Amino acid sequence: MLSYIGRSSHLAPGLKGSVQVVSNGVKGVIPGVKVGDKLEASVPPEPLTLTSYSLAKKCPTGPLAARVGLTVSSQIRYAHTDLQVPDFGFYRRDDVKDSRKKSEESAASRRAFTYMLVGGGTVGSMYGAKTVVTQFISSMSASADVLAMAKIEINLDEIPEGKSVTFKWRGKPLFVRHRTDSEIETENAVDLASLRDPEKDLDRVVNPKYLVLIGVCTHLGCVPLADAGDYCPCHGSHYDGSGRIRKGPAPLNLEVPEYSFPQDGLLVVG
Amino acid sequence: MAGLVNKVYQNIFRRTSSFVLAAVAGAFMFERGFDMVSDGIFDNMNQGKLWKHIKQRYGQSLEEEE
Repeated sequence: MLSYIGRSSHLAPGLKGSVQVVSNGVKGVIPGVKVGDKLEASVPPEPLTLTSYSLAKKCPTGPLAARVGLTVSSQIRYAHTDLQVPDFGFYRRDDVKDSRKKSEESAASRRAFTYMLVGGGTVGSMYGAKTVVTQFISSMSASADVLAMAKIEINLDEIPEGKSVTFKWRGKPLFVRHRTDSEIETENAVDLASLRDPEKDLDRVVNPKYLVLIGVCTHLGCVPLADAGDYCPCHGSHYDGSGRIRKGPAPLNLEVPEYSFPQDGLLVVG
Repeated sequence: MAGLVNKVYQNIFRRTSSFVLAAVAGAFMFERGFDMVSDGIFDNMNQGKLWKHIKQRYGQSLEEEE
C-alpha cells in the first residue's frame, strides 16, 4: 500500500545517469492520503518564471531528502501507518511469547530442549549404524552349519591298540592311532639330529597312547596310507609313528590339530 | 522441572565432550530397551509358534508321562 507521487526538479535532466536528486521543501509534494476509494494527492502547480521571486521558487532549497545513483545508497523512507506488524507468536516457544519477560531466563531450558532433540536423533542413528555394521560383520563369520562341523567327538574305546582309524574332520582326513607301548618307546628314543623337521614325540601328543594327525601329506597334499606306517603313495614320503617326516620329498611333519580329552575314553578334536 | 532442565543443560549438553558421552551411553540403554520391546512384540505376535513356546511338548515332558 505504498503510494508515491514524485516530480523531478528541473535540474534532473542534467543529472540523469549519474545522480538523481529529489529536492526537499520546494514543491511540497503532499504524501498520498486515501480518502474513500480515491487516492487523493495534490501537487502545487509549477509557477511561471516571470520574476526573480518565482525563479527562486523553482530552485531546490533545503537539505536533500533522497539521492539515487550508482555510488550512493538508495533509501527512501515514508511514514506508514497502514502496515500491520506481523505477529510471530504462533512460531515462538511458550517461554518467549511474553514480550515483557527476559529471554535470558529461559535460554537454558530452550537450548536443553533443542539439544535433547539432537541427542535423541544421535542415539537413534547410533543404534541404526551399530545394527548395520553388526550385520555386515556377522555375515563374515562362519555360518551355523560350518560351526556345527567344527568339532568331532571320538569314542576311544572303538579303537583297538595298535590300530589306526580315519575320520573326516573339516573336510580333511583325521588319523587317530592307538599306539602300543613299544611304538611309544621307539619314538621317544629317536635321535632329534636325524630328523628333517626336528620335533620331540612328547611335543606332538597330549596323551602318548593316542596319536592324532591330519592326514594330509605336507608335500603336495595327498592322503597318506594310515595303517602302512603313514606312507604317501603319491611321491613316496614316509612318516614315522609320530607323524614325523623320515624319507621322501615332504619337508615337514604331519600337522597335529588342536584336541583334548575332556573325559576318559572321549577325544574331542577342534 | 525448570531447575532440573537447567542442571541437565549446564552439566551435560553444554560441553560437546559430555554431550557425545551422554549420547553414547544413551545409545547403549536405548539399544537394550528397544531390543527387549521389539523382541517382546515379536514373541507376542508369534505366540505358540516358536520353539520356546512348544518346547515343553517334546522330550522331557514325554519322558515324564511314560
